[in-house]
Amino acid sequence: MLFSETGVTAAIERSERLATQLAVEEINASGGIGGRPLELVSHDPQSSPAAYRTLAESLVADDGVKVILGCYMSSTRKAVLPVLERWNALLLYPTLYEGFEYSRHVFYTGAAPNQNSVQLAEHMTRSFGSRVFMVGSDYVYPHESNRIMSDLVFERGGEKVAEIYLPLEAKPEDFRAIVKRIKTQQPDFIFSTVVGEGTAMLYRAYAEAGLDPARMPIASLTTTEAEINSMGAQFAVGHLTSAPYFQSLDTPANRRCVASFKARYGDDKVTNQCWEAAYFQVHLLADAMRRTDPDDVEALLRALPGSEFGAPQGRVRVDEHNHHTWLKPRIGRAREDGQFDIIEEARSWVRPDPYLVSHTLEDWSVRVKLESA
Amino acid sequence: MATAAPPRPDGATPALLRDLRSLQVVVFHPDDADGQELLGQLRRIGCQVKAFWPPQERLPEDTGLVFFAVRPEALAEEPAWLKRDPLPPVIAVVNYENPITIEAVLRLNAAGIVASPVKSFGILSATVVALSQSLRARERERYVTRLEQRLAGLRKLAKAKTVLMHSRGIGEEQAYQLIRSQAMAKRVTTEEIADAIIKANDILSFEGK
Repeated sequence: MLFSETGVTAAIERSERLATQLAVEEINASGGIGGRPLELVSHDPQSSPAAYRTLAESLVADDGVKVILGCYMSSTRKAVLPVLERWNALLLYPTLYEGFEYSRHVFYTGAAPNQNSVQLAEHMTRSFGSRVFMVGSDYVYPHESNRIMSDLVFERGGEKVAEIYLPLEAKPEDFRAIVKRIKTQQPDFIFSTVVGEGTAMLYRAYAEAGLDPARMPIASLTTTEAEINSMGAQFAVGHLTSAPYFQSLDTPANRRCVASFKARYGDDKVTNQCWEAAYFQVHLLADAMRRTDPDDVEALLRALPGSEFGAPQGRVRVDEHNHHTWLKPRIGRAREDGQFDIIEEARSWVRPDPYLVSHTLEDWSVRVKLESA
Repeated sequence: MATAAPPRPDGATPALLRDLRSLQVVVFHPDDADGQELLGQLRRIGCQVKAFWPPQERLPEDTGLVFFAVRPEALAEEPAWLKRDPLPPVIAVVNYENPITIEAVLRLNAAGIVASPVKSFGILSATVVALSQSLRARERERYVTRLEQRLAGLRKLAKAKTVLMHSRGIGEEQAYQLIRSQAMAKRVTTEEIADAIIKANDILSFEGK
């Protein structure tokens, strides 16, 4: 297991780590894999691609690990890829990302752009207008997400007011400067692809500037319950996030899952989309291991594609052709308790399409359903 | 069973391949495992290699080939040497395959691609294909320029002939002979004579108005 305990994206990776542990405990409590318990070998890659690579190498080469559960930023996933290919190991990756990748050694259980960006663009342009201010962290995911968002907004005859990137280590004053520009330029909404600690700085700067989320909210794909928990719920109220899972989701599977998580790790713990993917991907893996030789990577590579699981978000399925996952897109609006009101939901799961270059807003409109307002 | 030798017009190994040892290669790539692999292989091939990161504003004068690691977040401003003419061929080293990365590769006008994680196998072929394609492209450009010049010359000649035919009341063949004999007497090209006739006519017709 490779999730960071330290570094800029530690908060969200810690929640992926706990979700993985919870799932492993559940599996072991119900007899493991044919009586053998799953054993987690875990390191802290410190949110650093170089550390990810070194640790992945040592896990696979020295510890004989065959399956890695981990990675958050795309740069960390890319760092691990060559290790997987060289040693014929697998990675289960529970984080949304910008698409355009397929490795036979990786299963992607977070959302692809056609499962979150399209829905967010559709919702924002319909509800708030199409003048968008873009701010992101300076790495590949924000650049590519902004390309997709730009195309979608232009399709609505909209306008890109600004597209700004800040280093991952940006400081609060950098975000205050951005918010000042937002205040002057008065876009219809802000699209944030800021990740890690910068997220809190952005939302706080926005609140300090006295801007109104009901009129000009921040829309994000990565601001989850975990980020809101670190920043303080009052700063996120009214802002929107597109994700296939929110803790507030009212399904029997989710209620049960959240309850056992809190019972095990504390009442103050929150779940989120990355937590959920990290949780259900272990179950997908365990089910595959039970059906075949659990020590044989090639056998797992045959068993995982096409497999399904009743996840907290609903049924999910690993696509046979692209190793990404069928998920159910949703839009949430942050509440005062740090949870989300789910204001839109797809009628059914959406097939992942990681190599889709031109998204269209129609993709979502056929499935959109307003639950509450 | 005997097989025929592959078709090689002059029988010898292509010059491109023979000249690899003197090829000056500039590598813009971070000093990481991929960068090391790339440098190592280029040195094994025997090229003269210099490596820099981050990318420099200037290219060494004798650069024959550039390897360029594409990092979308670092491509906000394009390096100044991209405007150099003629530009040595550029091979892009990519670690992502999403549209913004590919867009960046297109902006570099790349003659080839090497994928990260870099493998030693394939770098030689990428190098030779990029060199050969860019050589051909340059030859084609030169050929087009020559054709354009010749076409412009023909147009001028036609115009000058018309001027002479009107002003002297002579036929096309006579007009051409006149231009040709003037060119021979003054030891210049027919194009220059045609040019002089057109200019003179412009001035005269202006005065006539």
